[in-house]
Amino acid sequence: MVPLARKTLIYEWRRFLPAILAVGFAGLLQVLQAALVLGIFSSASVYITGSTADIWVGYPGTQSVDQGRSLDPNVEMHMRMDPHVTQVEPFIWLDGDWRGDRTTGGVSVYVSGIDPRPEGLMFARVLDKDMRARLEEPDAVVVDRADLEKLGVGVGKQAAINGHTVRIVGVSSGLRALGGVNVVTSLETARRLNPDPQDAGRPTYLVAKLDANADTKSVAARLRHATGFGPYDVWAARDFARRTVLYWMLDTGAGAGVLFLAGIVFLVGAVITSQTLVAAVAGSVREYATLNALGVGLPALRRVVLEQAFWVGALGLFGASFVGALLMAIARSRDVPVYLSIPVTLICALLVMALAAVSGLAAMRSLRRADPATLLR
Amino acid sequence: MNSPLDNKRYAGPSLRAERVTKSFVTGRVRTSVLHEVSLELHAGELTLISGPSGCGKSTLLAILSGLQKVDSGEVFALGDKLDDLGQRELERFRLAHTGFVFQGFNLFPALTALEQVELPLHYLGLPSREVRERALRSLDEVGVAHRASLRPTELSGGEKQRVAVARAMAKEPELLFADEPTSALDAANGQMVIDLLHRIARTHGTTVLCVSHDPRLLGHADRVLAMEDGRILSDQRHTPELAPGRSNQEISSL
Repeated sequence: MVPLARKTLIYEWRRFLPAILAVGFAGLLQVLQAALVLGIFSSASVYITGSTADIWVGYPGTQSVDQGRSLDPNVEMHMRMDPHVTQVEPFIWLDGDWRGDRTTGGVSVYVSGIDPRPEGLMFARVLDKDMRARLEEPDAVVVDRADLEKLGVGVGKQAAINGHTVRIVGVSSGLRALGGVNVVTSLETARRLNPDPQDAGRPTYLVAKLDANADTKSVAARLRHATGFGPYDVWAARDFARRTVLYWMLDTGAGAGVLFLAGIVFLVGAVITSQTLVAAVAGSVREYATLNALGVGLPALRRVVLEQAFWVGALGLFGASFVGALLMAIARSRDVPVYLSIPVTLICALLVMALAAVSGLAAMRSLRRADPATLLR
Repeated sequence: MNSPLDNKRYAGPSLRAERVTKSFVTGRVRTSVLHEVSLELHAGELTLISGPSGCGKSTLLAILSGLQKVDSGEVFALGDKLDDLGQRELERFRLAHTGFVFQGFNLFPALTALEQVELPLHYLGLPSREVRERALRSLDEVGVAHRASLRPTELSGGEKQRVAVARAMAKEPELLFADEPTSALDAANGQMVIDLLHRIARTHGTTVLCVSHDPRLLGHADRVLAMEDGRILSDQRHTPELAPGRSNQEISSL
């Protein structure tokens, strides 16, 4: 078979280039927007994704990690009895009022009290051993490098949280929070910073590490059913992180915004791509009409146009992937929060191909003008 | 290749029109293009329809080839009544039985001469080897085999039209329609193309219907139908001035 679609695409690439660019840019917009939104909102779950715990135990019905309530510390004993649990540690999360120097006034902060030992699970991906060791010191805190200015302090300087004096012993990156500032400290210091005497000493969460061959979901399900410890629930870390991100996306309306924008990008992309593809197909309409006169049916001609649309989509996708990867790398190097998961990337790729398919269907309509009778003039 | 005898399975005329009328509506104006035209065409002949532009000759060609429907009257091609066929059936009929040559050559810019000819053959469902053989044979017959690997931009006007003729006849159609096939060509190339069409009629027993207002072609047809205002005014037969022994080499050297 003579590969008419591909040969035409290659030989007359100038005619198809606008369509390829339109598909590519639509795909690029789609994927970068998704990466930015995911990047921004995944910082809401940095407590979970920055840690190496497999299982999180918290107050039942907690919708987002920043909404935990204190637990009965005895749940820890129940967890340690499970043969697959290798390590358990408490995590204290509380709101704080930060006073730095006089220029910044009060800043609302989220205090994370963690086990600072080198093998500790919390923030194991964000804080190195040296930084954890510094947290062993009483009243020591670590903040994200990017938040220093907001807090009005420098490393080694003192500030106050809820009226208690703390000292900044170091900065890290990857600790930025959504809607506030994360301050990491030791469990001991966090207990002292808690203004509510009823909660004092009680963990907000318990996090656990499982052995390598444990099935996280089934262990979580098993640990969930125990009475006598007060209210608590158990989640796999990944599920809890996803729930937190979704909560923030839906609570702030950002999720709907993303979908709306994705729809707009798709629509605009489809309109531009189909118009350029229609023009490219229309350029060959006399030749198609001749083939039709010779008895090549319209369905066969439509297949040629659809195949061209497929290649336009594939080439646009290829370009968008290349430029997108480059832009993501640049964004990461500049601390811009971008994040892409494989399913989201696949959905974006699928949308690009759907865009090309829709445009191809639109371009097929211009074959109606390929009536061979019009050649007889 | 079909021998002329194969086409004799239709004992009667290969194309027959009976009292065909056709009119077009533009806005509120109804223009009558064909007035009860009747004619019969036979295999192995080159018939030329000549007349001034707007006389209805292209419309008659479109109707006889099944590209347009009649308003009233009947058209029979190879014994089939064309008006009874649906769009798909008409496409299938054209694929199996008809070839077309247009004024503009309408070759795909991206394809080589060989691929232009091969393309419609693939849709006939022929095996690839036979497609290649037939395409080469056709190109050879019109004298452009040596240009088989060139794209349209690398071919002269005459060569392009010869490739278009090769594309039309590679299917080995019983009916070959040509609409102003020489009007974009100079005298020498025009004469060569009409000679080619005539030779196809003679050697393959094809019914060749050619529409042209080019007076230079009159002497090359077996039969000339003169049209004016949607009617056939005269029907003349004569022996055309074809040099029967002209070889491919001579043609390709033109």
